[in-house]
Amino acid sequence: MTASAPLDPATMEVLNVLEATRIALRKKMMIHIVICCAGAMIAVLGFMSTLIPIGIIGIICLITGFVLMSISSTAVDQYRLDFKQKVIAQALHTIDDSLEIDPKRGLAENEFIKSLLFNRRPDKYRSEDLVEGNGGKTKLSFSEVQAHYKEVTNTKRGRQETWHEIFSGVIFQADFNKHLKGTTVVQSRVFGSGISDWFMNNVQLFSGDDSRVKLESPEFEKTFITHSSDQIEARYILTPLMMESISTLNDRCKYSISLSFIGNMVTIAFPQSKNYFEAPLFKSLMTDGLLKEDLELVRHIYQVIETLNLNTRIWGKD
Amino acid sequence: MIIAGIIILVLVIISIAIYNSLIAKKNQTDNAFSSIDAMLKKRFDLLPNLVETVKQYMEYESDLLTKVVALRSRASNPNLNNDEKLNIDQELSYEVKGLMVNVENYPNLKADQSFTNLQITWTESEEQIAAARRTYNAAITDYNNAIMMFPGSIFAGILNYTVKPVLSIPETERGNISAKDLFNS
Repeated sequence: MTASAPLDPATMEVLNVLEATRIALRKKMMIHIVICCAGAMIAVLGFMSTLIPIGIIGIICLITGFVLMSISSTAVDQYRLDFKQKVIAQALHTIDDSLEIDPKRGLAENEFIKSLLFNRRPDKYRSEDLVEGNGGKTKLSFSEVQAHYKEVTNTKRGRQETWHEIFSGVIFQADFNKHLKGTTVVQSRVFGSGISDWFMNNVQLFSGDDSRVKLESPEFEKTFITHSSDQIEARYILTPLMMESISTLNDRCKYSISLSFIGNMVTIAFPQSKNYFEAPLFKSLMTDGLLKEDLELVRHIYQVIETLNLNTRIWGKD
Repeated sequence: MIIAGIIILVLVIISIAIYNSLIAKKNQTDNAFSSIDAMLKKRFDLLPNLVETVKQYMEYESDLLTKVVALRSRASNPNLNNDEKLNIDQELSYEVKGLMVNVENYPNLKADQSFTNLQITWTESEEQIAAARRTYNAAITDYNNAIMMFPGSIFAGILNYTVKPVLSIPETERGNISAKDLFNS
């Protein structure tokens, strides 16, 4: 199935049912928005022209609009959940029968921390849309993740909190095809690490970081920085072909990827700005290419397995 | 006077740091070679089992098996130097590869589970040795750079450290081992 190919009849059937729900919900939401707007306008006009009772009526309208909107939002949430459980789930089967989506689950926060891909622990963490399945012999899962950390500064005006993004995108995990004992992390190179690298390499007194793995591929070294608890195991994983494959994978992505190899698992972080698998409310479900980007993401994940040769099982792992 | 004292102190600290760094880099090269050594031993230890399993089926490959057995007994000599060990390993790799290719002619051997396990372990050990060689070369390059570049070269002269050669990586180890080549050749 190509990205813009029409959806299969089973998916179309589910879409037809959901489209009717969407139209009804959109109508309701539009009415509630109109009530809110009208209420706000009446309140402003009433209070400006000192007609207090009219202003109060406006406020009541506004509050009623908000209450109705919040009631409808439960129905909207259910519609979005149905879309994922029925439409997305069905569409995933067109790629691989083993794929299942669980919209309410995601990558656990401790898994996110344990991946060692990020230098900070999140203060606010959210993950949803866990997709699990198999790509040949490889077990895989991926989900959307948003992680932020809080920075507190004391200023003249008092305590100020600022939120910074650690990661926003898709995190993919799969069973790695080699037995691993150590921890190897491949991160996209951060600008400005050059000077600290020089000290690490040349002056032992300042060093203490034996984890840095210097690899032979200049192209790979230019893009990534590798750390490992075991220098040999890092090279056992990062063979010349693997380095080339990771670079190819990175070139295919808009933003630089990071990878970690821990406990027989490979974890890859793909930074993304799009929220996948979401049902539109103000746009028809019958639009051509509705699931195009969602299915492209899933195909991209399957390409990862192919690119990294994860199904090649000659190293004693089934 | 204070400034001169500070300058001398800084110079002493830098000298100690560079000296320590050179020692650490030299130790790293020794350590990296001992890892290769340990892996070679692990691989040599696989041979008796491999020969024992294979000889039950491959009655027409006695020449090949004799060569492998001879190489195994050469490898068990405790007085071998590093170069000799690596040479034996290279010869052994070549001969065992030949053996694996001929397995196609012996369907009973191909179906033997213990042979399949040995084949997988052998492949894994090849990959690990390749990784250990690359680690050794990285350590050697680091060490050579440190003793050839200024100011490390001054200390290297005092310590009598000389440039060490890197190991040549066989062409077959440059890429990944292909499962297709191994099992479907």
